[in-house]
Amino acid sequence: MIRWLVRRTLQAVATFAIAVLLLFVLMRLAPGDPLSRLVGDRDVSAAEIEQLRRRFGVDQPLHLQLRAFLEGAARGDLGVSIEHYPDRVTSLLASRLPATLLLGGVVLFLNFTVGIWLGVRQAVRRGSRFDRWTGRLALAAYAMPGFWLGLVLVAFLSLRWRLLPAAQMTDPLLPADADALTRALDLLRHLALPALTLSLTSIALTMRHQRAAMLSVFRLDFVTAARARGLSEKQVRWGHAWRNTLVPMLTLLGLWLPVLVSGSVFVESVFNWPGLGSLAAQAIAARDYPVLLGTATLVSGAVVLAGLAADLGYAIADPRVRPS
Amino acid sequence: MTIHRLLIPALLAVTPAAALQRTSDHGSAVIIMGQEPATPIPTMLNGSANIAVSDLIFLRLARPGVGLSTTDERAFEPQLARSWSRRDSLTVVFELDPRARWHDGVAVTAADVVFSFARMRDSTVDAQRALLLRHLASVTAEGERRVVIRFRRAYPEQFYDASYHVQLLPAHLVDTIPPGQRFASSDFVKRPVGNGPYRWLRREPGRQLELAANPDFFLGAPKLDRLVFLTVRDPEAQINLLLDGSADIFEAVPPVSGPVRLAANPAVKLLNVPSLSVLYLLFNQRAPGDRSRAHPILGDVEVRRAIGLALDRLNLARSTYGRFALPADAPVAQAHWTRSIVPRSAGYNPASARALLAGRGWIDRNGDGILEKDGVPLALRLSIPATSATRAIMAPQVQEQLRRIGIRVDIDRLDFPVFIERRTKGEFDLDLSVANMDPSPSGIVQSWSCAGRGGSNVGWFCDPGLDSLLGRSINSPAKGGHAWQAAYTRLQGDVPAVFLASPAISIAVHARFRNVSVRPESPYGDLWRWSVDPGRRIARDGTGAPPR
Repeated sequence: MIRWLVRRTLQAVATFAIAVLLLFVLMRLAPGDPLSRLVGDRDVSAAEIEQLRRRFGVDQPLHLQLRAFLEGAARGDLGVSIEHYPDRVTSLLASRLPATLLLGGVVLFLNFTVGIWLGVRQAVRRGSRFDRWTGRLALAAYAMPGFWLGLVLVAFLSLRWRLLPAAQMTDPLLPADADALTRALDLLRHLALPALTLSLTSIALTMRHQRAAMLSVFRLDFVTAARARGLSEKQVRWGHAWRNTLVPMLTLLGLWLPVLVSGSVFVESVFNWPGLGSLAAQAIAARDYPVLLGTATLVSGAVVLAGLAADLGYAIADPRVRPS
Repeated sequence: MTIHRLLIPALLAVTPAAALQRTSDHGSAVIIMGQEPATPIPTMLNGSANIAVSDLIFLRLARPGVGLSTTDERAFEPQLARSWSRRDSLTVVFELDPRARWHDGVAVTAADVVFSFARMRDSTVDAQRALLLRHLASVTAEGERRVVIRFRRAYPEQFYDASYHVQLLPAHLVDTIPPGQRFASSDFVKRPVGNGPYRWLRREPGRQLELAANPDFFLGAPKLDRLVFLTVRDPEAQINLLLDGSADIFEAVPPVSGPVRLAANPAVKLLNVPSLSVLYLLFNQRAPGDRSRAHPILGDVEVRRAIGLALDRLNLARSTYGRFALPADAPVAQAHWTRSIVPRSAGYNPASARALLAGRGWIDRNGDGILEKDGVPLALRLSIPATSATRAIMAPQVQEQLRRIGIRVDIDRLDFPVFIERRTKGEFDLDLSVANMDPSPSGIVQSWSCAGRGGSNVGWFCDPGLDSLLGRSINSPAKGGHAWQAAYTRLQGDVPAVFLASPAISIAVHARFRNVSVRPESPYGDLWRWSVDPGRRIARDGTGAPPR
């Protein structure tokens, strides 16, 4: 088991390194001048542009830029943002990560608690009115683009009924010395709409997976045997059948985990949620290489780690896939 | 329409349901910015957001008056200098206001002025600004309060150059920090100390910047105690925050859809102020990707002239920017003082355009609707940045109007960095560009003179005759009116571009504010004069001034 774990970890590190190298090279190959945002429609002399190139190191050959990036990364320094100069990339990532983790964490929690519960209930009551209507509603929610659903929710819940704020993560005029309860309530009010938007579109997928997994398990002999032993329906459902659906659900969780870190570009934009998704989108638009590379490195790391965690999860949940 | 009339303070309507009756006219304002004002520091001003916010923290010696004349020094308004005089045609003497203080309580002195000019004239700090200050020979202090600025030669905009391009820095805090990376990462940049009506309170990177009123501001304490600048990039979120009452001010309301959406909230009023921007269709004079050759189609001035005649500029301006936009006749915006002396360019006349093209041999021989010459179709590519909603509206209209005279235009919607890269390298036929200019008309030298090639003259246009006229306009001792007119006429004849529109700034403002005035060159420069109608306060006005 330990040899497997070491081998799997080394594979993950190699995958991560290749991903970062590819990202570095591909970004530089993309057309577009990273200094354009600073220059914009302003009258700028050639000398000033050269000065800016030197400042950000983009006047150097590619291999020297790569070396500088790797040396910096080894020290935990991902360089200086071009778009947000003079902010450092690590401080930008650190300031955006909590917002993304909070939104992603809440959505993931709602997704897997509500989605699993609904999926199991659908499977148990297969063919019922509840099963049919939940399935239809889930399909409709899944088919809706997140940003569109977000705009509809804003139009009704914020602009028409004035129940929740239309955007932002906090009240901009919240005093710096506000107490913890006031801060928490303010945060919850602002979190509600983006979390609802992302949850409504994502729960459907988890629910459908859970329903299908439960239905395939309900047909197996060990479920019949459990019932024959006189176990309660609740024990059969959750203690035996559901536990045997964990492997496909872990696969799904492994796919969802990186979203926790990468954020959702469209929903973050619509709600002006200060997360990593919108930061990455701005960095792409502005060709802000240092920020883009920093964000991509973080997300690649999350993808690789999620894959590793999912593999570990399989091994724990199912002895049949545990390496000898 | 005069600038005086457009700058008249607007008294705005009420929101009684949200109002809290108080006697005070103080309050707060939440302002939406499309870009982040991360470094509103005079030596680090890139982007309109930084410039707008810096005007509240750092003052100049003086600023142009409401007419934005850059040649009449009597029309300038005092800021840190309470008065000025001339010793001779090359020397201006400024007397600093003795009441002026930095936010840390230290007096603003002549040493600060000398230091700030020295820093700004350093081309390694800001090459463009150093270029603008190239005619200054020396800046010296005479005692604590007197500054003497000497010029190398006499020209009408001496006073403008001496007062407008430099916002003062506190020498006692900054002179020990070398420019460059060390300055950028210094505590001063993280928490700047200025001399203006507002002081730095805090910044949450990527989210918001907060300023607090400076109660000791020597020109009068601001009535708005707190200003919060929110960074909101999504156009939907910008309007939604105004509509749900979370924000008060937004200066980049989309010109066509914005007013319609904002009409849903009577608590928000829309003001239109003349801008310093001009939108134009730029012609590349050289072959795309090869600047050693003339452009095979646009190198012919008659073709360029025909394109100008084929475009209905009034219609294009109004359909893109709304009814407050005006067609432009030259690189001169609504707010420029030379606007009134620009000669009218030839009007919309597609029949003449067709005749001009036929005279140059462009004829539709195969009946496909596109003109040809020597087997080459009259086809051009038009670049626009995908991020610009207004240019996305205008480009198809240009395409259609040119199709009617037999010119095929293919539109390339490009990422902004790609758009700029193609401009800089000359890899385009046509592009829709926006010039955001200073109040001075002399700024056009950079884009339309032979010397500007390799810099902002990306179309590689060069007419030595025009250069001579521009030089005469800038240096004319008679304030240049007639000389400017001759230069504009020459420019219109050369047709290096079709100047399409000069838009107005559409700014949404909450109805509870009084004494609202917006300046074209500095939208928030007068924010410290705004107040809240005591009978129309809302909850966030009660938060009061934050602790010092």
